[in-house]
Amino acid sequence: MTDPITDDDILRLARLAGLDLPPAYRTELIEAYGHVHAMVARLPGGRPHGDEPAHVFVPTVFQPKRP
Amino acid sequence: MSELAFLTIAEASRLIAQRKLSPVELTEAYLARIDALDSRLDSFVTLTAERARAEAKQAEAAIMSAGSRGRLHGIPYCLKDIFDTAGIRTTAMSKLLADNVPTRDSACQEKLVAAGGILLGKNATWEFAHGGPSWDILFPPARNPWDRTCSPAGSSSGSAAAVAAGFAPATLGSDTGGSIRGPAAACGIAGLKPTYGLVSRRGVLPNCFSHDHAGPLAWTAEDVAILLQAIAGHDAEDPASADVPIPDYASALTGDVEGLAIGVPARWLEDEMPLSAPTRAAFEAALDVFRGLGANVRPVTLPPLQQFDDCKRTIAVVELFTIHGKDLRTRPELFGASLRYRIIAGGLVRAEEYLLAMRLRTDLARSLQSVLSTVDLLMLPTSEPAGKLAPVPPASLFTRPSFTTPFNVGGNPALSICSGFNDAKLPFSLQIVGRLFDDATVLRAGDAYEKATPWRSMRPVL
Repeated sequence: MTDPITDDDILRLARLAGLDLPPAYRTELIEAYGHVHAMVARLPGGRPHGDEPAHVFVPTVFQPKRP
Repeated sequence: MSELAFLTIAEASRLIAQRKLSPVELTEAYLARIDALDSRLDSFVTLTAERARAEAKQAEAAIMSAGSRGRLHGIPYCLKDIFDTAGIRTTAMSKLLADNVPTRDSACQEKLVAAGGILLGKNATWEFAHGGPSWDILFPPARNPWDRTCSPAGSSSGSAAAVAAGFAPATLGSDTGGSIRGPAAACGIAGLKPTYGLVSRRGVLPNCFSHDHAGPLAWTAEDVAILLQAIAGHDAEDPASADVPIPDYASALTGDVEGLAIGVPARWLEDEMPLSAPTRAAFEAALDVFRGLGANVRPVTLPPLQQFDDCKRTIAVVELFTIHGKDLRTRPELFGASLRYRIIAGGLVRAEEYLLAMRLRTDLARSLQSVLSTVDLLMLPTSEPAGKLAPVPPASLFTRPSFTTPFNVGGNPALSICSGFNDAKLPFSLQIVGRLFDDATVLRAGDAYEKATPWRSMRPVL
C-alpha cells in the first residue's frame, strides 16, 4: 500500500512539470489534483501485455497522394 | 421584422429561391433584432454588420441574375467564437487571444461562404470552449432567452441563445463532451454533434483533440440537416477527418420512423443519474410519440456512465494541458479561474494513466457500437432543464455525470431537440443517438418528432 500523496508531493510534481506557480494558485492546483487523482484511480488497469495502447501510427496517412 | 427573424432556414431559402424574399431584407431584420435585444442576452461578442450587409447585397444580385445556388444562399448565420474567421477576431472569450485575428478561415467557414451564407458575427462561448460560465474573462457569459436569469449551458452558449432568440437562423458550435447538445437543450433548439470525423475541425480552436467535434445548431432538425449538408466532407488538413460518402441529409427526412428500434439506457436514467419527475414524464411522453409513429422502444444496457466520464475527462485534462501548458507556466493569471482550475492538474497525470484512459475509450466505443448493432437509435434526455446562471464550482467538471459525454467517447452522431416545456416555461430536451456515420437516421427521427409535436411553434419572448 502506498502512502497518501501530500500537498508537498503535489507541488513537487507540479515543479517537475514546469509549473512553478505563484502561491495564489497552489491551493487551486492541490484541490484540482485531488479530483484528477481520484478519477485516474478509477480507470481499470490490468491490461494484457500485447494490448494496443490506442495510439496507432497509420503510415498510409503519410503516403504521398497519387495524381 | 420579428416574423422574418423567426423563419427557419428551410422557409427562408424557399422564399429567397422564389425571389419573394431578399437576403438584404432578411439580413437587416436580424441586424435590427440583434441591435435592439442582444444587450439582454450577450449572445454575440463580435458583430460583422457591414460585412453582412455587403454579402447580402452580393447574394441578392447573384440570385436575381442567376438564381439561388443552394439552400444556404442568402441565409445569415453566426459562428461560435472559436472558429477562425480571416480578418475577424477569434478570441475563444480568453484574454490570451484578445487580439487574435486569424489570416485564414476555418474549413467550416470556407464552406459556408462557398454556400452563399452571410456571416452576422461571432457568438459567446465558455473560455476555450471548456471552463465556464465565467465573469473574469474577456466577455460576460451569454444568457438564456427563455429566462434571462437562467444559463444557456455551455460551451456553445451564445450560439444556442442567438438561434432561440431569433438573432440568426443558423450557427455552428463545437462539442467535446456535450457543448452543442447542452446549449441546444437549455435553449430549446436543435443541435447535432455529428459523427466524429464527419465535419472538419481545421481552424477550430481545440479543446481536446481526440473528442472535439464541430457541428450545427438551428431551430429545427431539418435546418440542422441543411447546415450539415454544407459542412460535412473529408478534409485532408484534419487528421481525424473521415473520407466517406456524404448522403443527401434533407432527402432522408421522410417523416417515417415506423419499425425503428429505439434503445433506452434504463440503468443510467433510473440508477446512475435518476431523472427528476418532470423530466422523466417529458421523456416518457416523447417515447410515446415515437411509439405512436410506429417505432419500437426497449431498454438496453450500456457500460456505467462514470466510466465514460472518467475516460473522457482523464484524456481531456491531459490534452488541455498540452494545448495550454506554455501559457499556464508563464502567464496563468490570464486564464479565467474556472478554466485554469479544470486544466492545471493535467500536467501531473502520468503517460501510463493517459494511455489507460485511451485503452478504456476503445473498450467503451466498442461496447456502444455493439449495443447500437441491436437497435437503430438510442434515446435519452440531453439534460435536465436549464438552471440559474451562476458561478459553478469548477470541481463539478470532475464530479458531475453527463448524458452527453458517452457519445463523444464513442464518436456517435447525437442530436438534441426540444421535447416540451416545464412549469417555468423552460425547455425539456430529447437526445437521439445513432450508429457511426448514420447521422441521417438521427436527423430523420428528430424531424419526425418535431413535426408530430407542437413545440416548434413556441418562441421565447425577450
